[in-house]
Amino acid sequence: MRSLRIGLLLGLRQIQRANIWTNILIIFVMMLTFLNLIAVSGILVGLIAGSERAVEEKSLGNIIITPLDNETKLIQTETIRRNLETVDEIVAFSIRYQAGGRVEANYKTRRDLRQDANSVGAPIVGINPTDEDLVTKLSENVVEGEYLNEQDSGYILLGSLTIDRYTAGFADITGSLEEVYPGDKVKVTIGENTKEFIVKGIVDSKAGAVSSQVYLPESELRRLSGQVDRNGSEIAIRLASKDPVLADNVKNTLIRQGLDEYAKIRTFTEALPKFITDIKNTFNILGTFIGAVGIVVASITIFIIIFINAISRRRQIGILKGIGIDARSIEIAYILQAAFYALVGSALGTLVTYAFLVGYFERNPIDFPFSDGILVAEPLGTLIRFIILFLVTLVAGFIPAWIIVRKNTLDSILGRK
Amino acid sequence: MQIISAKNIRRSFGKDNLITHVLRGVDVSVAEGEFVAIMGKSGAGKSTLMYQLSVLDTPSSGELQVDNTDVINMSEKERTSFRLNTLGYVFQDYALVPDLSARENVMMPLLMRGENWANASKKADEAIDNVGLAGKYLNLPAELSGGEQQRIAIARAIASTPKIIFADEPTANLDSVSSRQIIDLISSINRDNGQTVVMVTHEREYALGANRILHMEDGVIVLEEKLR
Repeated sequence: MRSLRIGLLLGLRQIQRANIWTNILIIFVMMLTFLNLIAVSGILVGLIAGSERAVEEKSLGNIIITPLDNETKLIQTETIRRNLETVDEIVAFSIRYQAGGRVEANYKTRRDLRQDANSVGAPIVGINPTDEDLVTKLSENVVEGEYLNEQDSGYILLGSLTIDRYTAGFADITGSLEEVYPGDKVKVTIGENTKEFIVKGIVDSKAGAVSSQVYLPESELRRLSGQVDRNGSEIAIRLASKDPVLADNVKNTLIRQGLDEYAKIRTFTEALPKFITDIKNTFNILGTFIGAVGIVVASITIFIIIFINAISRRRQIGILKGIGIDARSIEIAYILQAAFYALVGSALGTLVTYAFLVGYFERNPIDFPFSDGILVAEPLGTLIRFIILFLVTLVAGFIPAWIIVRKNTLDSILGRK
Repeated sequence: MQIISAKNIRRSFGKDNLITHVLRGVDVSVAEGEFVAIMGKSGAGKSTLMYQLSVLDTPSSGELQVDNTDVINMSEKERTSFRLNTLGYVFQDYALVPDLSARENVMMPLLMRGENWANASKKADEAIDNVGLAGKYLNLPAELSGGEQQRIAIARAIASTPKIIFADEPTANLDSVSSRQIIDLISSINRDNGQTVVMVTHEREYALGANRILHMEDGVIVLEEKLR
């Protein structure tokens, strides 16, 4: 207790009397170190979180209902629809009809039939434009032309990845339509049936699946594919909130209603493509590694700061020991300094992270090809990093103080080596 | 009654063929309440002797009892505790902690001895008053003159009323007026409080206030001069 009291007094006064600019510089270094811990891994994870968010918002919804493993369509789609309408937490759902097909453009101006047709194979998705827009806000992704409306007949939306000018050189691999714009006519072939449509708009999204598909009003698709029933291919469901617990609850409600006899019901988290989870885990490891390097750098920085501080006060330390102040008090004084720098630096880093960086990246996400990267800084993760940095800093402050304090008292007083 | 008893104290530095014998078998006894001055030329071994007697260093050989305690075989922790509870120090260059105020410097040993903050502060102020610096409690060492800093160092040494005060050339860095004041202060502590004082000095003039002067030369005491 005595040691603690004297250590605190000595440490506090050393901080108080130290050069203000030195203190600011050390705290700034600690703040940058903390930001390095939070921001680097946060942005890496945020790239994937952005991708996840895009898939959830633009493709899968909060819950996705897909055919059973041995089926190609949702059995009893109308029964499922009626049940979905009874669940209060479901704010919207969109029944989608899918078929593989081919889209051909510029066929009227094609002069040489020996050349390849200007065509692309793509998943053709039949939607109710209003329902789909309520679930995925697909209309917001129309980058050229206009969105479909329920009365539309003979109109089509093309995903940007089916069009040459959006594929950034990947067209040679995937195939794409050249020189197609809203208002142009295209032929859509599903199986043996072909129909001409007018391109109403072009859809582009960071969720790759959205941009690689072609959208028709659902009645047009069923007619073209020769589907006589109304069984859909999947149903995307939007809930009142993104809370995973709510998604689990609604899923369980649907299962209790017996809908799992007709289809697979999965929450967004369960349906997330495995490669995204794998990338997320990899980025997490990478972020942790970079963070660990940051912690080592921080600990070395603190070690050097405290070591120089202690070595420059070696004689003073000797005198303190000489007049009877125990070694522990002196060590506590230096640990307190290290703790002060770590706490203030980390606190400022936390403030900058939550008051500025998170909001900034939310408003100005990093434009990544497959996602809008945000900064992910989970409070628990931040707290853990805060504690780790604090503990490491304490050790880094203690070791140099311990080295200097254990030197012979008289040698320290006389400045002898 | 002897408060310091040193027999055949030797202190050497270095090893193998490069050994320097600084103390070559010194016998010293200091009575309780006595004021002893140690004099000698540079290199005579007077400071080294004082470091042994004040438990800041350990003799290479010999016997040393301070306040009836064998201090040679103590651990470092025990020596620190012994210094805190029994000895007071006045160093050549004041040796105050620059970040602490005059009051806090004086409070240090008191707090370490377990005094609460209020008591330590009160005793520190009294000690500062006693060395003639009333009102300078909150000054930092850098805000005090050399003589004033040495007075604060003396206040720190006497605040916890140690049995023995060691002063290592306390006037070495002071002008003649300040030096005289410091010597008078040390003498008065010995005279008025009955605390034992062992002081190393170059100046005979300042040693004349002592009861005895030990003259050292080449690591041994060559003359013991009784003054009163």
